[in-house]
Amino acid sequence: MSRLGRGGALALLTLVGFVAVALLAALGLVGADFFSFVAEPYAPPGAGLWLGADALGRDLGARVLQGARVSLLVGLGGAALTLALGGLLGGLAGLRGGPLDRALVALADALAAIPAIIALIGVAMLLGPGLPTVVAAIGLTQWTGLFRSVRAEAQRLRAADFYRAAEAMGAGRRHQLRHHLLPHLRPLLLTSAVLHFVHAVKVEAVLAFFGLSSAELPSWGGLLAACGGESTRGIWWPLLGASAPLALLVLAAQVLADRLAEDPRSA
Amino acid sequence: MSPSLRLLLGRLAAALVTLLLVVVIVFAVANFFADPVALALGPGASPAEAARLRAAWGLDQPALHRLARLLAGLLRGELGLSASGHPVSQLLARALLPTLAYALPGAALATVLGLTGGLFAARRRGHLLDRLTLAAATLLLSLSGVIVVIFARDLLAFRADLFPLVGWPLAGSADPIAPYLALPALTWALLQLGPDLRHYRALFCRELRAPYLDGLRARGLPESTVLRRALRVAAAPILARLVARVPHLFVGGVVLEHVFNVPGLGGLAIAALRGGDLHLLEGIALTVAAATIAAQFLIGDLLAPALDPRLRARGPA
Repeated sequence: MSRLGRGGALALLTLVGFVAVALLAALGLVGADFFSFVAEPYAPPGAGLWLGADALGRDLGARVLQGARVSLLVGLGGAALTLALGGLLGGLAGLRGGPLDRALVALADALAAIPAIIALIGVAMLLGPGLPTVVAAIGLTQWTGLFRSVRAEAQRLRAADFYRAAEAMGAGRRHQLRHHLLPHLRPLLLTSAVLHFVHAVKVEAVLAFFGLSSAELPSWGGLLAACGGESTRGIWWPLLGASAPLALLVLAAQVLADRLAEDPRSA
Repeated sequence: MSPSLRLLLGRLAAALVTLLLVVVIVFAVANFFADPVALALGPGASPAEAARLRAAWGLDQPALHRLARLLAGLLRGELGLSASGHPVSQLLARALLPTLAYALPGAALATVLGLTGGLFAARRRGHLLDRLTLAAATLLLSLSGVIVVIFARDLLAFRADLFPLVGWPLAGSADPIAPYLALPALTWALLQLGPDLRHYRALFCRELRAPYLDGLRARGLPESTVLRRALRVAAAPILARLVARVPHLFVGGVVLEHVFNVPGLGGLAIAALRGGDLHLLEGIALTVAAATIAAQFLIGDLLAPALDPRLRARGPA
């Protein structure tokens, strides 16, 4: 904790706060009634509704709280899938070498040339809107960057003396992986996980903006898409409610990633 | 054959192989994981209509034959028909100009600001102004593109009335295009500035700490000469960054074009999404991928080694 510094600790605390809100929202303890029409359209923040109502008179505060669920689910799911794909394939390519390595590198090069947003829209089109689609689209389009770094790191390690010494002493693949590879990859994987979380949250906002994210749960990107310039008439709460938590979540995760990357152990 | 020429030919071959692989991947995804006809027509389409579209797209022919036809069409610059019956290449050509008209000035502005700001901060590494620059860049980066675009529209166009219009002049109208471009270009620059500032600051921090610069200073060269040498060495990584931004230039502004009603490539991609037009999306993906690979080759493999002799032996970093 101390190595994160004050800023990093604050960022971590913020992220924990988001997780707590998402859990409470998922359990129905906060913001449970986000779908019924409880007030006049655009009712201002007040006694009953702390963040006012949206264009249809639904509790905006509840919708914003529920949005934390979507962002965190997609952020964590997208980061996990990206890490799994990039880490596994990168490790495989770097350690094995040979034709498999060349084939995977060619595949990653080709996929990286396809513009991410078009690939995301394409995957979403094929699979239909929904959270699993968003997570799959993120994982399938984002793994190539991590693949490259993990592959390079694995290649470096494979040539390292300690790795070859262990190999000469008859160390099995599993031993090499657990004692030599993963400890060396951990800083890279940790920083990448947070960065891919940031990326996945941003991508979800864009996909939700176009109605490709969850159809059941409100999402901050979707709330932003519903902002039609009513802020110019003094109705600021829809815009604030949708943008502030999204920006805060991304900022906290980005600061955490920066602190992790600064850490000497991950240099 | 000289070694550098052989290296260059090898890179050209690699670029062509990558492009071929892109075509095969996009073709496979669009043909085996989806039914473009069902997507385009939606539920409740008549079988006759489906059969007509299937024949128009040549989907009744075997897959290998279709792939060969796609490749032959690509060589002639043709991309087939969209779901609405227009040639995809024509739609793309029409959308390219509006996109580049705001994205190029926006990207140029962000690059200049990012480079000067990054150099400014890196030369004061660790000082207050550097920390402020970095904090501002991180803050800007954290505002998702969706937020920036919506705020730009509400604050700059609607409320402050700084920019007269959100939209685009109608085809054939005598309206000057510049006022329509200002807001998208400025917003684009704002979107790119956060990541660019951070990137160039980190890059200059690295370059300015290089030991050879101390060598130059020890020999009594003035600081301006030292800086000029450092900038020349930094040219290759800066070019690499510019190459990495090429796909963004074409389709980085999907949200922006949608909100500001720019009839560009991003808007076209959303139209393809709404209309279930897999062919159109395929055309956009292939065109942008080809432009990306071409930029990688021209700038990364041709221009960068010309500027930096170290790259001639090893190839680009």
